Amino acid sequence: MRRSRALWAGITAVVFAVIPLLTRDTFALRVVTEAMMWIGLAVAWDVLGGYTGYLNFGHGAFFGLGAYTTAVLMMRGHWPFALALAAGGVLAGAAAVVAGLPTLRLKGAYFAIATWALARAVQQLALVLEFTGGPDGMRLPPFLNPQFFYYLMWALVSVIFVVLWILLEHSAFGLKLQAIREDEEGAMALGLKPTTIKIQAFVLSTVPAGILGGVYAYWITFIDPASVLGDLVTDQSVVMAVFGGLGTLVGPAVGAVLIYAFKTFFWAYLSEYQVLYLIILGTVIALSVVFLPDGLIGLLTGRGRAEAPRSPEPADENPPELREAAP
Amino acid sequence: MLWQLLPQAVLDGLLIGGVYITVALGFSLAFGVKHIIDFAVGEWIMLGAFLGYYLQGWTGLDPLLLLPVVFAVFTAVGYAIQPVIHRAVSGRRGNPVLMGLVFTFGLMLAIRGAGLTVFGFFSHSIPSVMSARSWFLEAGGLFVTVPAIRLVGFVYAIGITAVLHWVLRHTDFGLAVRALAQNRDAAGLMGINARRISSWVYGIHVGVSAMTGVVIGSIFSISAQMGGDYTILAFFVVVLAGMGYLAGVPWAAFLLGLVQSLFLVYGNPSYTLLAVFAILYLILLVSPRGLFAKGV
Repeated sequence: MRRSRALWAGITAVVFAVIPLLTRDTFALRVVTEAMMWIGLAVAWDVLGGYTGYLNFGHGAFFGLGAYTTAVLMMRGHWPFALALAAGGVLAGAAAVVAGLPTLRLKGAYFAIATWALARAVQQLALVLEFTGGPDGMRLPPFLNPQFFYYLMWALVSVIFVVLWILLEHSAFGLKLQAIREDEEGAMALGLKPTTIKIQAFVLSTVPAGILGGVYAYWITFIDPASVLGDLVTDQSVVMAVFGGLGTLVGPAVGAVLIYAFKTFFWAYLSEYQVLYLIILGTVIALSVVFLPDGLIGLLTGRGRAEAPRSPEPADENPPELREAAP
Repeated sequence: MLWQLLPQAVLDGLLIGGVYITVALGFSLAFGVKHIIDFAVGEWIMLGAFLGYYLQGWTGLDPLLLLPVVFAVFTAVGYAIQPVIHRAVSGRRGNPVLMGLVFTFGLMLAIRGAGLTVFGFFSHSIPSVMSARSWFLEAGGLFVTVPAIRLVGFVYAIGITAVLHWVLRHTDFGLAVRALAQNRDAAGLMGINARRISSWVYGIHVGVSAMTGVVIGSIFSISAQMGGDYTILAFFVVVLAGMGYLAGVPWAAFLLGLVQSLFLVYGNPSYTLLAVFAILYLILLVSPRGLFAKGV
């Protein structure tokens, strides 16, 4: 089973690697490049959201932070792209530490609220600061080589996926995260330090987002607060992970591909109804929570079916924190 | 110097802080009882405001007279939605509370999208007879203007808070709500219908928020994008107060109103949100469970 999964991952990686050799269509290349970016973002979100059970509703802020850091360092500081990109990742990780320190000590509700508010504050900051160009955004030097960005994205997302796979599925770290998700006090009793581990997971989740943001900025060559710091990055990452299957790596990746494909078709054919897309995103999130708590991947692996018929007795009103009182 | 502006700034802050109480009150109640973080709170405010706007256009009545209608309609909506939220939070996932969060997050997106589709991107206002009036006070060389509609908003907020306080403290329903918030199992054993009470609580939350939207519409303006701003206000107030600690809400709301209006007069308005955020961050660092350390 494990070997076949590695095989599938390898096949997928190779298929993605040869796509640019098969097509000269730059639109198709662009779509696949962005799809890979979303895979990276959704999988990274799931480190904290799915594995650790702490919902980051400010994922877009870290993406935007990476994009802006890269843009500012390249344009104002004349740094080379690779260095600026790395700096974007580092800054996103540092921001996670700063934001996580007060909020990750508390219950998940505070964290969800704080990250959502943080995203708004960061967007506001980019709007009022001078060196970010304010509402006008920033232009980066055009580097019009779709193949370069395709392979860069492919390499980065592959690295992100493999690193997360090793850390989350094949090391004690992933188990620690899941222990915290299932029972934080129990994890503490076993000698784990939940706050430290949660901050590590937060950093692990935001550094990829920052790096992908940096690549996106250089690739698209124009960023402004609405595009890279708007709500859509967060909204999509959340819906991709929830719809695909929380707490797995393959689920968010599958969710990312499906949701992004849907979005591309939707915006291509129904571009005048773009706000409808929000309704659909929201409905998909809400319905997946109610009907597909384990996501699409749960359906495929049969986990979803086992859990579907819930609460047979009408009196089942127990909040989860009281459930542990029952023997 | 600018100190002559101080009384006006303080008054504005208190009056607007009053409205923030009602922005956060239902939200705090829903969290205290059901442990639901309602990301859609701002969207309920938006929807209520637009119902008020259309009802006013239709009936020609003063928006303040329409408040009970808006309350009734949205209490029914909240009552009807609660069972779905309950289903979302009673799944078998490790942390079902978080699934409720994701659910209301989706709800927020869907309502916002629907609002933008139906209501468009334009701003409106819901003028009341009080909107144009104001009083001018002078004492000891200091002047303040009291806009009538803001005073009405303040009185409305205090009134709602007082009614809610009375209901929670002095009625059987209030007793049941408090019992539920304390211990769901024990409350169930005492014969409290947790499901029905929860539905009422969520209904009241949605109803109060929607009604507040109408008041906001007659003070400021309304648009389909307004929801997020008020959601964040509700978050700020509730986190400052301590999550689920209802008695802290008014003080936190006044503090927020004061900070905002002082910043507007003495600071740079575009940094207001950032200043509020910085204050919130510091408070979370020093006293994670709110100003009074009474949060959950």
